[in-house]
Amino acid sequence: MTNLLEVRDLSTYFTTPEREVKAVDGVSFALNKAETFCLVGESGSGKSITALSVMRLLPARISSHPSGSIWFNGVDLLKQDDEAMRHIRGSQIAMIFQEPMTSLNPVFTIGDQITEALQLHHPEMSNQEVQERTVKALEQVHLPNARGRMRDYPHQLSGGQRQRVMIAMALACDPELLIADEPTTALDVTVQAEILRLMRELQDNTGMSILMITHDFGVVAQMAHQVGVMQYGKLVEQGSTKQVLSQPQHPYTQQLLAAVPENLARRKPTTAQVLNADAKPLIEIHNLSVWFPIKKGLFRRTVDYVKAVDDVSLAIPKGQIMALVGESGCGKTTLGRAILQLEKPTQGSVNVEGQELVGLSDQALRPWRAKMQIVFQDPQSSLNPRLLVETMLTEPMKVHGIGSSHEERLELAARTLEHVQLKREYLWRYPHEFSGGQRQRIGLARALVLNPEFIVCDEITSALDVSVQAEILQLLLDIRSERDLTLLFVTHNIGVVEYLSDQTVVMYKGKIVERGLTEQVCRNPQEPYTQKLLAAVPRLTITAL
Amino acid sequence: MTDVVATRDPYLRRIWERTLQGTGVKFALVWVGLLVFAAVFAPFLANSMPLIMSKNGQISMPVLHYLSREDVVVLIAFVALIVLWVLPLRLNWRRGLAVFFLVIVAGVIIANQYVNPPKLIIYEDFRSPAYNQVDWKLMPPIPYAPTDYMRDARERGLQTAPLSEPSLQHWMGTEENGAEVFSRMIHASRIALSIGIIATSISMVIGVIIGGIMGYFSGVVDMMGMRLVEIFEAIPTLFLLLTFVAFFGRSLYMMMVIIGVTSWSGYARYIRAEFLKLRKQDYVQAAIASGLPLRSILFRHMLPNGVAPLLVAASFGVASAILAEATLSFLGLGLVDAPSWGQMLDQAVKSGTFNWWMAVFPGGAIFMTVFAYTLIGEAFRDAIDPKTAYRVKRSA
Repeated sequence: MTNLLEVRDLSTYFTTPEREVKAVDGVSFALNKAETFCLVGESGSGKSITALSVMRLLPARISSHPSGSIWFNGVDLLKQDDEAMRHIRGSQIAMIFQEPMTSLNPVFTIGDQITEALQLHHPEMSNQEVQERTVKALEQVHLPNARGRMRDYPHQLSGGQRQRVMIAMALACDPELLIADEPTTALDVTVQAEILRLMRELQDNTGMSILMITHDFGVVAQMAHQVGVMQYGKLVEQGSTKQVLSQPQHPYTQQLLAAVPENLARRKPTTAQVLNADAKPLIEIHNLSVWFPIKKGLFRRTVDYVKAVDDVSLAIPKGQIMALVGESGCGKTTLGRAILQLEKPTQGSVNVEGQELVGLSDQALRPWRAKMQIVFQDPQSSLNPRLLVETMLTEPMKVHGIGSSHEERLELAARTLEHVQLKREYLWRYPHEFSGGQRQRIGLARALVLNPEFIVCDEITSALDVSVQAEILQLLLDIRSERDLTLLFVTHNIGVVEYLSDQTVVMYKGKIVERGLTEQVCRNPQEPYTQKLLAAVPRLTITAL
Repeated sequence: MTDVVATRDPYLRRIWERTLQGTGVKFALVWVGLLVFAAVFAPFLANSMPLIMSKNGQISMPVLHYLSREDVVVLIAFVALIVLWVLPLRLNWRRGLAVFFLVIVAGVIIANQYVNPPKLIIYEDFRSPAYNQVDWKLMPPIPYAPTDYMRDARERGLQTAPLSEPSLQHWMGTEENGAEVFSRMIHASRIALSIGIIATSISMVIGVIIGGIMGYFSGVVDMMGMRLVEIFEAIPTLFLLLTFVAFFGRSLYMMMVIIGVTSWSGYARYIRAEFLKLRKQDYVQAAIASGLPLRSILFRHMLPNGVAPLLVAASFGVASAILAEATLSFLGLGLVDAPSWGQMLDQAVKSGTFNWWMAVFPGGAIFMTVFAYTLIGEAFRDAIDPKTAYRVKRSA
């Protein structure tokens, strides 16, 4: 076998006025023809920068390559000038990106965007040929009615279809190497499965090589022939997928693999939980609906509704962790917020300990607010950047009359911080001084200071790296066992559900399709949608090769 | 455990450092600083009476005797500001502001009670033997009051026009009545500064409250608020000012209020847009979920995050308020007795011949002040925008 791409001792440094950052530090790997090489690592490990270095897409003003060479088809890409690179990019090396929403230009039709690349790299082609080639590319990625859809604009396509168009664009010029930077991270799990299948199929048909960047070991297991694990800009381990996944050598790889929810030590249900299995429900929801009006016209008449949550009835048993699973847009987050009255329900009732919450005034709701808290997904926006951690924690306590003096509240806040495994001194810091995982802990502490009985965890680990996710999940379990907490864990990650929850509820298009004990739902799903969802989850079992 | 690390907000400090990076903004701050200095110490910088004199062994300070109530209030405010700034009282800005306003109110009451300057000042007296046959005396750097027309000081009395070009004696010349232009310039800086800052403060307070409520509640409240904003945007401030001046006479305070009350709509729009965005932020949702009162959510959790673009707009607002006053004075509808830059420009044009020194110095001062505020506003805007902040840092 011959190497299509060979990266030798590549270094990429960024120079900022303050310091030099070694984003990629002495990385060497080789990619064979018609094979897939996966670069895996946590955020900031330099995996995307490696890909961009190969494409020579980094701004020359701030980046430099002190050492190394990138051999592609016998030429050193680092020695090519801009003009030569322009011919290589697109026609021989193509790239697809993570965010299908922003990587297509919204003001051009998808057909225009593909033909433009073709005309650029193949000026000899006639218009007729270009059109035919475009249709063929779109058919290759299984876009239904390809000829008709050429005149569609990106906003008329779904996220998965856009990613297909991106791939079609990359394929139009028959590249030998496709660089895919987290191509499925922004997609739902069922769509991800389709895209991954498509990429494998295209590789079989065209014999192109794929350099894939991902943080998901499930995706690695599905796609990769070879895998490289990156940490702090260095390639710490590489080898065949089977070897790396089953017998990791480097401690960092071992640690990463151990943190994947599938591999986390499965806990045994304690006797208390078994007894609680049919405990009295803490929260009862009857026929809850949240509809958002679609307004049109001069007088903003309501013409239709988006039924985010549609006639949902649910009982959340006290002291249990209930997982709410579903794809994006299925209404799971809206349901969580509607329970807390952060979204006004259109109709239905939310009943907590015999008290009806729907329709209460803000004033009357206040005592109930303390009992029910929420932790958010995005660690960037969940903490107020202008407030000290101390203010964030003590202000709600003051409003709800917890602690008699400021000193007492400070002490309580400090203890809560220790509870979520942070230091007391962190009270006197601002949010920007913390990492993502630490911010999520502070978000959790903010919910815990009010001694709530019920917490909605809205995708709290989705924005985190897998090792940090494992720590947060462990922390949640610890806190749950110490306090008598009921959790509604909203997520799209089936692995997390299996690890964490006692009960699972599956939502689809605003309705609940299946619910039951997690064991039953995940091992033996009854509904076709649940079966499809579970089948789409990329597992660590190796399917490629 | 409560070792309070009372650092100033690092975010604010970062913004401040970034703002200061350009050369233009440093110059602008120096100019505004000079104006503040001139405005606060005007009676000590340019006046006809000695600052200190010793007569027959008795030391007296005539200038203190003639300080007006406004002079005293301005001095008290300035001293209070310096004390609050320097003393490590660890007040948060809200309490600091409250203390500052209390001091000003107290100052106004005290000044009205105890300061009784003579109603009529006869400047000829200061050139009479009573003030000249002394052991020693210390005059202000510019020994002429702004309304001292020096009818006795020239040999030929009222025979010739008292207008004179800049000379060693009068650095910026004298105006048609014989008063010193430089002295009038210094005293006029008060009006320029106070009208800009007070009018803008009034409109900011109104704009923040209305815009904040519009943005937070959205829906019907927002729609009604936007109509109100449009109504106020349709009112031309200058013509309203002209009408009010015609009906109610000339008053600096009325001008401030009218400029303030008519120009809040821009600030309301800014705050509304920010609040519409912030309302959906998770930390605001978390504040609601914690059951915090509305006042705290609006002004503690949302306002500090949305106020930055407003401060930028405010620095441009200050400039436009100064221009509005200058325009009014230029049209001859400004204040009668107190000197202002616009009024001096008016004088330059109205007297029979064109007197360049009467146009260049006040015109230059207006230009420099508006320019300085605009520079500060732009530097501030660039400092707040993280994209341009990086560029500024690199080029600096």
